[in-house]
Amino acid sequence: MNLTRRNFFRLAGAAGAAAAIKEKPAYAWQSKAPPDPYGCLVDLTRCIGCRKCEAACNRVNLLPPPDVSFDDQRVLDEKRRPDERTYTVINRYYSGKTDDRDQLIPTFVKVQCMHCQDPACVSACIVGALSKKENGAVHYDVSKCIGCRYCMVACPFEIPAYDYHNPLTPEVRKCTFCYERISEQGGRPGCAAICPVEAITFGKRSTLLQLAKDRIKKNPAVYTDRIYGEKEAGGTSWLYISAVPFEKTGFIPVPSEPLPKRSESIQHSLFSYLWSPIALYGILGGIMWTSGKKGAGEKQAPGGEK
Amino acid sequence: MTEHSPCPVQAKFWTPGVVLLAFLTGCGAVAAAARFIGGIGYVSHLSTARPWGLWIGVDVASGVALAAGGFSTAALAHIFGRHQYEPVVRPALLTAMLGYTFVVLGLLVDIGRSWAIWKPVFNWNLNSVLFEVAMCVMIYLHVLYIEFIPIVAEQFKGKVRIPGPLSALNPLIEKLLTVADAVLDKIMWIFIIAGVVLSCMHQSSLGSLMLIAPTKLHPLWYTPILPLLFLTSAFAVGYPMVVFETTVITSSLTLDSEMEILTPLTRITIFLLGLYMLLKIGDMLYRGSYVYLLDGNAQSNSFLAEMIFGVILPWCFLLSEKIRKSRRGLFITCAMIVGGVVLNRINVFLVGYRPPLTQTAYFPSIGEILVTVGLISCLMLVYRAAVTYLPILNASRKEVQV
Amino acid sequence: MKRKVGLLLLFLSAVSTGFLPAYNGQGAGNAFAAGAEEKGDAIALTETEWKAPDQMAAQIRAAEEVPFVGKVKEECLCVRQQRLRDKGLSTKDITHRYFLLDSPLIRKEEDQYGPVRFMHSKHAAVLKDCALCHHYRPVDPEAPETTRCSACHQESFQEEYPERIGLKAAYHLQCTKCHKDMQEGPVGCTGCHKKNVPDHEKLVQLPEKPEPTQVTEECLRCHQKAGEDMLSSAHWLWKGHSPYTMERRKEVLHGKGTTVINNF
Repeated sequence: MNLTRRNFFRLAGAAGAAAAIKEKPAYAWQSKAPPDPYGCLVDLTRCIGCRKCEAACNRVNLLPPPDVSFDDQRVLDEKRRPDERTYTVINRYYSGKTDDRDQLIPTFVKVQCMHCQDPACVSACIVGALSKKENGAVHYDVSKCIGCRYCMVACPFEIPAYDYHNPLTPEVRKCTFCYERISEQGGRPGCAAICPVEAITFGKRSTLLQLAKDRIKKNPAVYTDRIYGEKEAGGTSWLYISAVPFEKTGFIPVPSEPLPKRSESIQHSLFSYLWSPIALYGILGGIMWTSGKKGAGEKQAPGGEK
Repeated sequence: MTEHSPCPVQAKFWTPGVVLLAFLTGCGAVAAAARFIGGIGYVSHLSTARPWGLWIGVDVASGVALAAGGFSTAALAHIFGRHQYEPVVRPALLTAMLGYTFVVLGLLVDIGRSWAIWKPVFNWNLNSVLFEVAMCVMIYLHVLYIEFIPIVAEQFKGKVRIPGPLSALNPLIEKLLTVADAVLDKIMWIFIIAGVVLSCMHQSSLGSLMLIAPTKLHPLWYTPILPLLFLTSAFAVGYPMVVFETTVITSSLTLDSEMEILTPLTRITIFLLGLYMLLKIGDMLYRGSYVYLLDGNAQSNSFLAEMIFGVILPWCFLLSEKIRKSRRGLFITCAMIVGGVVLNRINVFLVGYRPPLTQTAYFPSIGEILVTVGLISCLMLVYRAAVTYLPILNASRKEVQV
Repeated sequence: MKRKVGLLLLFLSAVSTGFLPAYNGQGAGNAFAAGAEEKGDAIALTETEWKAPDQMAAQIRAAEEVPFVGKVKEECLCVRQQRLRDKGLSTKDITHRYFLLDSPLIRKEEDQYGPVRFMHSKHAAVLKDCALCHHYRPVDPEAPETTRCSACHQESFQEEYPERIGLKAAYHLQCTKCHKDMQEGPVGCTGCHKKNVPDHEKLVQLPEKPEPTQVTEECLRCHQKAGEDMLSSAHWLWKGHSPYTMERRKEVLHGKGTTVINNF
């Protein structure tokens, strides 16, 4: 019994020592967001739900043909999510507002990858197959991917989809922000280029934020005073402004702290330079050495517990 | 104690139970084959909203947790010098080794590009919790195999007899075993400590995995101290798991009950499980997540079940000297603790995981269940085979005396 | 068999009502004409094709490139209306009665729809308010009071003028908003645009003198859905929903689906 107690104090001592060392490497988490990324501002008051962006996305990303034609507006009757064959979808919401003919006014919401400034998926990806590019795109490199789908767990917007029916070479699939296209001079994402009413404005994120604020300021009666994506998940490259509150149009509340902050802080403060494993190793080694010396004497008469 | 040393089990191998295990393994193999022919979507209910299902929740997370017996008994017997626990170290080591092997096998089924599982070794993302877990599991698996070599050497040293065309290799293997055994005897302490350190690292990081999804994990489980809870629960479940499996094995193979070791072993668990319980309840009170306790939905019920039947009740049972001394009582108590930790892992990865946008319920498909059951059966089958051919379990005292 | 002939019927009715590209006037329609009639006639038709002179002028004008107006004078609608009134500008001052909204800027990304034919003078006559569309003027005092849309609205997403929308969006937003507000004029795509139907001369593959069934089969190759739809329509079934028919009876005594087996 004494032994157990002694060991307990040893353990407690070790834990205390570990905690004391823990104070030292004060790890301050830093955002790895690109300084001047591109973005898109989606103005929900402009979107007419024509689904041209879906068609353009399908065309420029060489996606398989859809089950239902892009001209068929009946798909709007139900809420859809992007999947492995569709990188973007339009959903229709009725907030209850009516026009002067008592017709419900629809609000159309485009859903795609938000291209977070500090993406959870990029932080989560075990092999770094996902990366945040300087131009703002969250880029997927299939050659590194092992298919663990931790990115899908991490994404707060539930965007990455998976080729579940491909047995050997499935890919994570999500909006690419037309990475190759916007990398070229004057290039623009397929959806933004085709939008007939410029509900999607493509440009530098900083410009778009200012633009969004100007629009809200100029039309305070039209817009709700909020830019979705300005602070969500620490800021996203895609921004939304709307006439109806975002809660009514399928937008979920997302913490304004970048999602990787907490897990990366804990990971790095515990494991940077492997200080804690090394410290633990030393402590355990010390205990083993002392108990080994004692154990040599005690081995002949194993007592204590029984 | 010479009469009570490990030696191969001499019992009949093909009992009905073993046949059943072989059958279940076959079923699992069929389901796994279907997964590799038709894809993950063909056999599972995984979706965009629910990318991790039964395979991660049970095969991987619970598997890692239950393999904690390996490092905790090794730490107790070798590091803290409590040599009287030696008899349970080998079975616990075998369980851990097989457990981790099957964790990796489960991962091979679950990840989309199984053939690319080596890629994390060369593509490092130091920000990724999963990367750390993967590295630790990979290294720890090797450490476990190294720790196991002396057992193999003990059995086969001096009697390597491979028949047939490979018999030419016999002297070479013989030599290798001798050298490995001699070298390892000197440096085994490195691996024993490394095993404990690696276990502490990835057991806790397994909890950190969910820290990146605060909007998805139910607040009853989402807490910044999730890694600490995972670590303490792994500590807490280590010895009860040893008790659980030792009792199952000794009773099914009619060996000595080892109660004189198991009873004191669970005294330590009172402290470890108590710590886990305090942390869990304290965290709940501190964050105020107790407001969800009486919601009556799957999450709150599952949490209550986990806490009451998996932590609080067994802890109270352990306090009683009478229960700890009774074989049946101790077995039930430890089974409850094991169940509680497994339920905790299932809760964190499956029940408590509620993506806010797509609130589709997830229930594992037949294919997923078959793969999981198959893997567990296969593990038990290999365990049974291992104890038949290797000196792992202690022979009955009577048997040796006769 | 039943289905194929059904589609033939649909096709014939579509062509005869001018619904299908026979109405296009450029190639596609002629291809169908050639399929149905003798080839010689079709060639003769293209040779003698006549184009209205104002249409030609509008096409040339639409293709013109206009120097970009960067800065515009920001003023509210009332002030602008008042100033136009003070200057005495009215519908009389219209220089172009008709526009073809067919700038190459619009067709850069896609070309799914035909150009809109915009009746400038008609709109002006109805609205009697130039400021509704000519909402801003260039800051340059020398510049004319009103100018064409494509002077200010050109490329989209210009970095210096982030709020300035591109020409395509300007047209769409201006037209549909006004049509919606006034509850007059089309708001859907095909209300203003003719959908660009691909050239069926290249798509349709038929032998020299095709059988009727071959034609139907060829149509169905791409328009399978249309064929299926036809089979569930009253045109094919001779029964169905027709609330506006006088003295309509629910039961059908004769015809397809009842007493007649032959489709004709």
